Amino acid sequence: MKCYICAQEGKDTDALAICIVCGMGLCQDHLIRQEVDVWEGGYPFPAEKLEKTVPRILCGFCYHSLKGRE
Amino acid sequence: MPSLNKRFIAELLGTFILVFFGAGAAAITLMISAGGNPTTPFNIGIGLLGGLGDWLAIGLAFGLAICAAIYALGRISGAHINPAVTIALWSVKKFPGKEVAPYIAAQIIGASLASLSFAAAVGMDAVTLGGLGATAPFPGIGYGQAILVEGIGTFLLMITIMGVAVDRKATPGFAGLVIGLTVAGIITTLGNITGSSLNPARTFGPYLGDMLLGGSNLWAFYPIYLIGPIVGAIAAAFLYNYLSSEN
Repeated sequence: MKCYICAQEGKDTDALAICIVCGMGLCQDHLIRQEVDVWEGGYPFPAEKLEKTVPRILCGFCYHSLKGRE
Repeated sequence: MPSLNKRFIAELLGTFILVFFGAGAAAITLMISAGGNPTTPFNIGIGLLGGLGDWLAIGLAFGLAICAAIYALGRISGAHINPAVTIALWSVKKFPGKEVAPYIAAQIIGASLASLSFAAAVGMDAVTLGGLGATAPFPGIGYGQAILVEGIGTFLLMITIMGVAVDRKATPGFAGLVIGLTVAGIITTLGNITGSSLNPARTFGPYLGDMLLGGSNLWAFYPIYLIGPIVGAIAAAFLYNYLSSEN
């Protein structure tokens, strides 16, 4: 798979990852990796943030769309 | 996890919500029906307006207040808002022993502030006519019967909590709604027997408010609302653990 954004720019770069939201292939320059906190608990126990996070890879379009809600 | 101070405030606030709106609904019902002529000695005024519908309304006031407290504060403190629930969770090693006393203190303070606030907001009729929604055994109900009824009611509440919230296999998101409606159902049936407290803090607040503001002194009945709920909740927690174990 090739990087979609590079392909739009006329370049031919191999993709390293896929955006979890839209499925776009992404190279190292165009992927955005986030660490998402994981919480455990809730009624009847207080919620607790776990030590480890879950990685999430997004393209720039989806990242900025979702960030508008955060 | 939020600090113990934050959880203390959340438990206090949750129990305040429960007692202000739940016990407040019972007090208001008694104020509305004051002066009416009950047809049986088993009727103290709640039931005079709409029969069991009066208790359903009071039960829903409690249930919806519990629902709000659980969804609003459950992630912060766990929203036990009931010493019997806190003690039962501790008894099955689901809650740390060193936090039991602060949680119960918060629940007692929240309930007391709610009763005093309700009297301040509504006036002395809330004390003299409504008794601040205090619970007591109804005419013809003995001390032992009342403990049994409170124990059975809290057993149902606690086994529901275990099944819909404590059990990791439970479908997430439904606990607040199910537990609120369960309490409403229990109060509808048991309300006219013991007042259906199910919660030592819920009874403590109105008792303290009545005592401080010149209402009835009902403390002789308080052991009913300590023993019944705590024994019922612990029994439910242990039974659920046994039933759900894989052995």
